[in-house]
Amino acid sequence: MALVSLQGVGKVFSGRTGAWEAVRDFSLDLAEGEFFCLLGTSGCGKTTVLNMVAGFDAPTAGSILLDGAPVAGPGADRGVVFQGHDSLYDWLTALDNIGFGLRLRGLGKAERRAKAEHFLRKVGLTGQGAKHPSELSGGMKQRIQIARALANDPRMLLMDEPFGALDAMTRAVLQGELSRIWAETKKTVLFITHDIEEACALATRIGVMRRGPGGTLKAIVPVDLPFPRERTSDAFMRVFRDVHGLIHDEIHGAH
Amino acid sequence: MALFMMRFTVRTERLTTIGGYIAGFALLFLIWHLAATYLVKSTLFPPPLPVLERGWMLIEDGILQEQIIASLKRIAQGFLLGSAIGIPIGLAIGSFKPVRWLLEPWTEFFRFIPAVAMITVSVIWFGIGEESKVFLIAYTTIFVVIISTAAGVGAVGRDKIRAAQCLGANRWQVFGLVALPATVPYILTGMRLAMSNAFVTIVAAELIASNDGLGKMLWDARLFMQIEDIFVALVALGMLGFATDRSFRFLIRAFAGRFNATV
Ligand SMILES: Nc1ncnc2c1ncn2[C@@H]1O[C@H](COP(=O)(O)OP(=O)(O)OP(=O)(O)O)[C@@H](O)[C@H]1O
Ligand SMILES: [Mg+2]
Repeated sequence: MALVSLQGVGKVFSGRTGAWEAVRDFSLDLAEGEFFCLLGTSGCGKTTVLNMVAGFDAPTAGSILLDGAPVAGPGADRGVVFQGHDSLYDWLTALDNIGFGLRLRGLGKAERRAKAEHFLRKVGLTGQGAKHPSELSGGMKQRIQIARALANDPRMLLMDEPFGALDAMTRAVLQGELSRIWAETKKTVLFITHDIEEACALATRIGVMRRGPGGTLKAIVPVDLPFPRERTSDAFMRVFRDVHGLIHDEIHGAH
Repeated sequence: MALFMMRFTVRTERLTTIGGYIAGFALLFLIWHLAATYLVKSTLFPPPLPVLERGWMLIEDGILQEQIIASLKRIAQGFLLGSAIGIPIGLAIGSFKPVRWLLEPWTEFFRFIPAVAMITVSVIWFGIGEESKVFLIAYTTIFVVIISTAAGVGAVGRDKIRAAQCLGANRWQVFGLVALPATVPYILTGMRLAMSNAFVTIVAAELIASNDGLGKMLWDARLFMQIEDIFVALVALGMLGFATDRSFRFLIRAFAGRFNATV
């Protein structure tokens, strides 16, 4: 059985400017342990889909099942890494940010600290735990966010363009680290991006979205390449070209 | 070495600030001196030296301290009372819509009635004892603190709350561990504003109805035309206000400095 199952999911926003159908008839099954990249042009409804899976927003049509049970709201089984880094707690140190979920569950101080240290090391920030978010770079903050989500040991990770605001070099480094962490932990990941190369480097499957209104899945491209991915290999280039073709049609409106 | 350098720059920065304050005050007194001796040349505007001499005399007689302590005690009591009432109300207004609908008309109404306008009522209600002054200071504190606290709760980032929710936080944990600490800088800023209101209010209240305090000192000095005493009281007020505000800013920095770079 799929870990997450979206069945004919739709979302209509109704606001000042009238109703806007952001997502229409979106169906997708995510298997345990896969790394699924959702790729699409800006405004096609990627964040809307992720917010519904996270439980921040309710779908207006269809249903979302987690382990067979409908998603009713946010929960500790789905860790979220946000696009911006204002989701970190400025008044806590990096280490306390990572241990925040453990504190919610009433874990003792020593145990919390040991676990947080473990995940601080995992994201390559050993020795930086005493710093506050205002003393960390953008890339470091995203690492802390990832560590915070992982430390809580969720069933799956939801990541909304986590590296979107970083420079190309930092992004490549973090992609490598995320890929390594995923290989170690085998967490199911739903990863949103509009960067084709990023999707090809990370995903086991790439879902390309059709432009809104009524954004939906247009095609799913499996990526059967070994990790770590060799970005200059012919096989990688082939996948890149396939996905690029699908996206290219989207950008230039050839539906 | 790096740590030493950092300490060093922080130290020198602090020294420069203090040096700047001293120079600023020296300039103020110099201009005052020049204006009084060469420009105005009136007994109604004494130069700083006789004022400081008179101030020293009053300190030696123990009179000035008495007035300062009387005023400060009232400010402290009313300010703490007002903050203790204002913070929870502000948190409730910011957190719960129905509370907002219910209480916002109150705060919007009373905040346009200045404490000075309430002096008459408070004297009728509480007499000229301590209660009326503490009431006025509390009154002037409450609304500023409420408004600033409520605004702080409203300004907590959506992602901060969502992050806590998907880490497993319940409503109360979101409130206590996210909304509340994120609001602390706003609360402190509101209290700092309220403190400067409190200084305005205490003088007005003591001018009109009191047996001691800096306001009373001003009033008596006017009655007996002790021009130097008036200036002693004014200088004392300015210095006290300055010292209180600086300590408050220091506290905000110490507690909340790393919360938010803009505080
Ligand atoms: N709360 C909302 N109210 C009304 N419309 C919304 C709301 N949220 C999103 N939309 C609309 O839904 C569409 C999809 O938005 P969404 O944020 O999911 O896009 P996206 O694919 O994540 O884009 P990007 O890559 O730029 O982040 C957009 O047209 C947007 O204007
Ligand atoms: Mg988005």
